[in-house]
Amino acid sequence: MSEEITFPDMPRSELEKTIDELVDRAKKVLTTEGRLRSLLRANRIVVEELELSVVLRRIAEAAIELVDAQYGALGVIATDGGLEQFIHVGMPEDQVEAIGHLPEGRGLLGAVIETGEPIRLEHLDDDPRSSGFPEKHPKMDGFLGVPIRVRAEIFGNLYLTNPRSGHFTVEDEELVSVLADTAGIAIENSRLFAEVTRRQRWSAALADVTSALLAGDQGDPLQILVDHVAELVDAYLVVVATPVGTEPERGNDLRVEAARGEGAKHFLGRVFPSQDSLSGEALIGGQPVLVEGQGAGEMFHDGPETGPTLVIPLSTFGRWIAAVSVSRRVGDPKFTPAEADMITRFATQAAVAIEIARGRSDRQQLELAQDRTRIARDLHDHVIQRLFATGLSLQSTAGQSAEAVRGPLLDQVDAIDTAISEIRAVVFALSLDHRHPGSSLRHRLLDIATELGASLASTPTLTFRGPVDLLVRDVLADDVAAVVRESLTNVVRHAQATRIEVEVAIDDDLVSVRVDDDGIGYSPKGHVGGTENLRKRAANLGGACSIRKNPNGGTRVLWSARLGSDQ
Amino acid sequence: MTRVFLVDDHEIVRRGIAELINAERDLEVVGESGTVSHTLGRVAATRPEVVVLDVQLPDGNGVDLCRSIRSANPDIRCLMLTAYDDDEASFAAVLAGASGYVIKDVRGQRLMDTIRRVAAGEHLIRQDVADQVVVALGAPSQSLTPDLSLREGQILQLISEGLTNRQIAERLSLAEKTVKNYVSGLLSKLGMERRTQAAVYGARVDSHQQSRRRDL
Repeated sequence: MSEEITFPDMPRSELEKTIDELVDRAKKVLTTEGRLRSLLRANRIVVEELELSVVLRRIAEAAIELVDAQYGALGVIATDGGLEQFIHVGMPEDQVEAIGHLPEGRGLLGAVIETGEPIRLEHLDDDPRSSGFPEKHPKMDGFLGVPIRVRAEIFGNLYLTNPRSGHFTVEDEELVSVLADTAGIAIENSRLFAEVTRRQRWSAALADVTSALLAGDQGDPLQILVDHVAELVDAYLVVVATPVGTEPERGNDLRVEAARGEGAKHFLGRVFPSQDSLSGEALIGGQPVLVEGQGAGEMFHDGPETGPTLVIPLSTFGRWIAAVSVSRRVGDPKFTPAEADMITRFATQAAVAIEIARGRSDRQQLELAQDRTRIARDLHDHVIQRLFATGLSLQSTAGQSAEAVRGPLLDQVDAIDTAISEIRAVVFALSLDHRHPGSSLRHRLLDIATELGASLASTPTLTFRGPVDLLVRDVLADDVAAVVRESLTNVVRHAQATRIEVEVAIDDDLVSVRVDDDGIGYSPKGHVGGTENLRKRAANLGGACSIRKNPNGGTRVLWSARLGSDQ
Repeated sequence: MTRVFLVDDHEIVRRGIAELINAERDLEVVGESGTVSHTLGRVAATRPEVVVLDVQLPDGNGVDLCRSIRSANPDIRCLMLTAYDDDEASFAAVLAGASGYVIKDVRGQRLMDTIRRVAAGEHLIRQDVADQVVVALGAPSQSLTPDLSLREGQILQLISEGLTNRQIAERLSLAEKTVKNYVSGLLSKLGMERRTQAAVYGARVDSHQQSRRRDL
């Protein structure tokens, strides 16, 4: 027998209500816990990546999942205030194409940028700041925009629309704000990582350049420098200019020593005034110069227009040796302070390497000079002495020999004698003192023979008889040099000679020049002006000049002047 | 018969020259030496009329040696013999106070002729060459060219006039030894005691310098 237990209505409904409330709260706690879990997961996803473009996409994806929105996007703010990048998720590709262009950061998106505070709307269209949608843009209604800060600076904004629940709650706003904070940290990490990676790449490049420069056989140090810089900073024109002359003062010209990029070949070796040029400014100020862009023709009248340009002066041991000018195209991103800093350091260290490489090249030159001196000494000390002794004994043998052998023997003596005087000329050429160019007539004549010999089958042989340097000086030396140059030039132009002999000799009170060639012979028609000149010079200096055919082919020029006739 | 003494550190060169000289009826080699240290005694013993000496010797140089020979006996004529060229030989001969020089080449009878002319008392160094040597050595414009002191300048001028060390010492009231030291100083400034005679080619003279030197 059971008795039905009944409760009074009133108390029962209170209890149920209380229980309902408890269940509700428990559900809410569960939901909240679930959402916190989602937030944690979203945070983890966001901080897992280091590559910036991937990080940004992950942030947008995590955000729509977190608040269950249909569309989400992340806008990166450009320095001029608009949007530099717009990473969107949730919208199919064909739809994106149909819309045509990405948002530029006006209307509501711009408002989030301007206020720097979250904006949450139930209906987009109700807000006066909304600038509406382009044609074919899907309908968007509920809106939540939250700024992302990186080190207190607003980096960009998270935009979310069309929540499945109909509208965004305060809670949604809080969760997305927390996600935005994490996103800020992730972005910063990613930037630091990129920076470190870049520094590593630069260090590696610098090590490459340094070892290439120190190896010495890798080519022009400045060209090695521009090749690497161009690659590293993604520049389209890199030019190295050095001052013509010793000090980079205003008015000094600059010469392009190395170039890489568009029209580089065209610029190489060109000379331009340092005045009003960026390179000149950098060298004179001793400071890097950074500009947004250079108009066309600023460096050369036919030079291209360039975008962001950075010019760095290179110095070693307190001397400014070159300016490195790095340009990007018009519209390309500017050089960041980090890049500018890197290029500067790179150039500075490269300058040291260049100086070391140059020092080594100088040392090699010196070693070469020492070698030549040694060879000259050996020729003098041993070869000439032996030839001389042999010639002497042949000569004495000839004296004691029968008439029939004497002739041929004396011919051999003559041959040895010619060899000795040729070796003597070689000894002189090898021991040339290049520190005093132009100081002696013999040096000048050797230079002329070498210079003009370049256009001949062989370098003219040059011999001297008598103390030429001592007695032929000043104006007379100029005359003799001019005569030799003119005679050799005539041979080069007209004679098609393969062998030329020049002898300059002191004969009593005359200096005489003899030029023999084995060419096609003298034709008075072709070069009257030149020979007339030679005759006039000789006549003015109390000498004579004759040009005639050699009996065994070729031409002989004989020219003389009286010593002291120029005073 | 002209008596000739040979000084050259290359034995084959001495032998070659001696053969040539001895083949001549009027010339005779009376002594030879390959070093500075052996020369003075042998020259004193053999009393030649002409000494032919190389500019470079293993234990010194022919320039100093020539001056010593001539100081001791001004009647002996000297001929410088060198494998270098005319310009360098001219410097050496003027500084040595030699009567002439012969380049080590063999064409013709030049060496024999030169010995005969020198033995006959001819002085074969042209005055303009001697003057230019003084000018070139005195030119201060080149870093390599020695900056001569006033005393060195005086001595250089007297050298170019052919005076022996003893005569210069008398003229300037100095000890002969002092003059000798000055000459050695000159040579070392020129690098002539070593094998780098090319240094003197740096010499360049402006006309002002030239006239000042001639006034000395």
